[in-house]
Amino acid sequence: MSLLVAGCAGVKTQPTVAGTTPETVTQGETPQTTPPAQPGDVIIAEPIPKPIESTNNAVIALLDRAKLDLGAGQREAAGASLERALRIEPRNPWLWYELAQLRLAQGQYAQAVSLSHKSISFAGRDKSLQALNWRLVGNARIAQGNPNGAEQAFKRATDLEQSLSVKGLD
Amino acid sequence: MKITVLLTTFWNKTRIIWNKIYPILNFKSRGKVLRLLALSLLLGLSVYIFYLDSSIREAFDGRKFALPARVYGRALEMYVGLKLTPAQFVDELKALSYHENPEPNEAASYKFTANGVEFTTRDFAFWDGPQPSQRLRVEFADGKVTLLQERGTPDKDIPLLRIEPPIIGGIYPGHNEDRALLKLNQVPKPLIDALISVEDHKFYSHWGVDPRGIARALFKTISGQRIEGGSTLTQQLVKNFFLTSERSLTRKANEVLMSLLLELHYSKDEILETYINEIFLGQDATRAIHGFGLASYFYFDRPLDRLELHEIATLVGMVKGPAVYDPRKKPDLVLQRRNVVLQEMVRLNVITQAQFVVARQKPLGVVYRAPSGTSPYPAFLQLVHRQLQRDYREQDLRSEGLRIFTTLDTRIQHLAEQALALRLGQIEKARKIPANTLEGAVVISSTQTGEIQAVVGGREARYAGFNRAIDARRQIGSLAKPIVYLTALENPGRYTLVTQLDDSPLVWKQRGTTDWKPKNYDNKFHDTVQLRTALAHSYNVSTARLGIDLGIDTILDKLPKFGIERRPPPFASSLLGAFELSPMEVTQLYQTIADGGFRTPLRAIREIVTAEGKPLQRYPLNVEQVAQPAPVYLLTAALQGVVREGTAQSMTNWLPEELHVAGKTGTTDDLRDTWFAGYTGDHVAVVWVGRDDNKSTGLTGASGAMTVWGEMMKNIQPEPLQPVVPEDIELVNVDPLTGLRNSEDCKSAMLMPFIKGSVPTEISPCTIATATPPKVEDKPVVKTEVKAERKPESKPEVKEEGKKNWLQRLFN
Repeated sequence: MSLLVAGCAGVKTQPTVAGTTPETVTQGETPQTTPPAQPGDVIIAEPIPKPIESTNNAVIALLDRAKLDLGAGQREAAGASLERALRIEPRNPWLWYELAQLRLAQGQYAQAVSLSHKSISFAGRDKSLQALNWRLVGNARIAQGNPNGAEQAFKRATDLEQSLSVKGLD
Repeated sequence: MKITVLLTTFWNKTRIIWNKIYPILNFKSRGKVLRLLALSLLLGLSVYIFYLDSSIREAFDGRKFALPARVYGRALEMYVGLKLTPAQFVDELKALSYHENPEPNEAASYKFTANGVEFTTRDFAFWDGPQPSQRLRVEFADGKVTLLQERGTPDKDIPLLRIEPPIIGGIYPGHNEDRALLKLNQVPKPLIDALISVEDHKFYSHWGVDPRGIARALFKTISGQRIEGGSTLTQQLVKNFFLTSERSLTRKANEVLMSLLLELHYSKDEILETYINEIFLGQDATRAIHGFGLASYFYFDRPLDRLELHEIATLVGMVKGPAVYDPRKKPDLVLQRRNVVLQEMVRLNVITQAQFVVARQKPLGVVYRAPSGTSPYPAFLQLVHRQLQRDYREQDLRSEGLRIFTTLDTRIQHLAEQALALRLGQIEKARKIPANTLEGAVVISSTQTGEIQAVVGGREARYAGFNRAIDARRQIGSLAKPIVYLTALENPGRYTLVTQLDDSPLVWKQRGTTDWKPKNYDNKFHDTVQLRTALAHSYNVSTARLGIDLGIDTILDKLPKFGIERRPPPFASSLLGAFELSPMEVTQLYQTIADGGFRTPLRAIREIVTAEGKPLQRYPLNVEQVAQPAPVYLLTAALQGVVREGTAQSMTNWLPEELHVAGKTGTTDDLRDTWFAGYTGDHVAVVWVGRDDNKSTGLTGASGAMTVWGEMMKNIQPEPLQPVVPEDIELVNVDPLTGLRNSEDCKSAMLMPFIKGSVPTEISPCTIATATPPKVEDKPVVKTEVKAERKPESKPEVKEEGKKNWLQRLFN
């Protein structure tokens, strides 16, 4: 059950990723600290501006659709929409991150980890997105029963977040 | 229930007969013999009728609902910014049987406008639900989509449009029969009326046969005329089930008996429904068109319920003999026959005189379409079929009407087919190779999603013969080298792209094999060479030595992670590709390299839906990281060097340098196999060229397979390869000749990637003069290869022994 919560948390906190634009990244909004949201919360209630996941309207439409599907509990359909988006922008690290979150929610932890790594591989110097991915890896590892691995991943996420906030203060 | 009763009756009768026969088996009197004979005849007849009965019911029940699986290609997704020209777009529409219409408001119609195309899509049930027909407008500029709108009041911009996918084939029941199943209540009444009027107007009153018809047929036979006619719909159905066109009295007798039996077991509606779905109505290359549902699409490109009276009459007229009454071949004859049908309908008062007059004046209206056989893409379909066989029973695939959505990109597939056929023809002509002796195969996949976009199994792409893309296993030669280099680059403490490798003569002794003395293709040894140069020029000796140093097992153990399940022999020669793989397996290997060390199992199927539209299965994208991004990044840089300055240098004849293609040539023993495996920003593609009899082609990877690859990619117009620089990669200036570090402002320096911590520390003085040597050094080698390529038998300079072993010959 705790695995499921961890998994769900990973997905549900996604929209709260405050600003994944480097200047506004805040700490504390980490998947493992966010209280589990209720079903349906996925799409609604986003007080903080979302990161720009894509500039392509087709991709944005598919992301919206994936989120709607997810809200309706249709994870397979959400996955299909994300894959459609990935066919349009196969190198968009946000889409890989979204898919990683979905796999985490589906309980496919190994896939979640691999997809996060893939997102990182396309993230370039985007440290905030890298941090999000490491957090996701941490959550997946907890679910896999690998607390040490999880700790390392969370540490990497924290380091990345700190390096960003230090930069932000400059 | 009926079956049980029949079985019991039959068994009881047999027992009674046997009980009677048994006491008289002593043959004591002539009368008894006669009685025995009569009884035997009776018994035989009963057994025969029983046999017929069970056969007909088996056929009827078994095939009543057989519905082939339909296989679709990828659906074109359109959005603003998509690379697409109006011509490409209209090709796509035409392939979906859209027709040009000045008012493109009905489904599947289009017209050109000043900047684009206006069109209307069809209703289509996708995996994730139905998508209704939409009236749309698309505009283009500079080879891209610039506007996508739904036409209406007012027009509305839409972010994304998914056009219905093309049907690329089916998985049919035996005899390649195709049909689109209909329930009787879906069949338009005029069709039933027409059918009964023309073919069997006593259908609802007879017992399966028409005695007068039979009498007539019998009379004609006895009087020596042709055996014909007299067939009720039931008899025609029986005939269709057993597929014999033999004309004999025995067959006619069987047909009559079976028809009676069929009527005994099934209702008129069941028989009519089956007839409508079963009747043979034409041939499309190897695919047989069965039933009115499919015939409606095949001849009119519309569902049956949207046909007009004259079109229905045409189809009904064709029942008499679709081979003779083929509207595409004999339109006049078919028009005449159609009017006979209409005449009969008006005579029997199933249509009015007014309807008759209108229908009679209409043209045939049959759509022109090139026959496509069971699939225009047999190699891809075979791949799909094999993947399905892992998860589904063959019987279900052939009969459950599954709808299978695949990854085939018809545009890319056509370009791959064309490039292979064109280049093989050109090469044969230019090199005076006997025509049609070269063969080839192509596999193209998407770099990041692992979707298979094209599969060409041979130069005759429409011919469903030997599928070389999947089934031809050939030695891969130098295509194996990147795995050796990746293993080296994963150890940055020892190896970087500029590490000097030893390319001096090597003798390798390994238990179980003869001494191994690898040689370079140019028959020279190169003393020391930089790692990147050794790969660029595909030097065998330095690669072999590098691989041996790293450990043969260490390298071969990597292959399963890259998706190669078969393990090569544990010999040093395997490092240089002395093992066999299919083009599909090689694609998987290179896909993993192209995707930065993430293995995504190649997929041909996306989704499967039941005949009722219920999602059955998805084949989701799966990813596994099998190598770290940084060493793979270095390997890609080195493979880009192969194209920029190595064995694939002549790729510039096809593709601009700005694409930064990465790839590797492969040539095997006696020039038998020529390979090119490479990737761009969006595609991974592998080409094999060789001969089916495994004889020498006289070609190398660069002069054979690579030219097909170049021709194909030139037309596909791929995205440039610009991998994201991993965080632990540093780009520094080095002296291209020595590999030592140059200052940042040095003009003769070359920017080279290193894994952090492995950057050379020694500084080399900057000299403009050293700016060009690498190219000077490289070129003669390339020339040597080209020379050797034309004279494959030329004697090597360095000859160490009279008789060379197979491996030395392999990598000469």
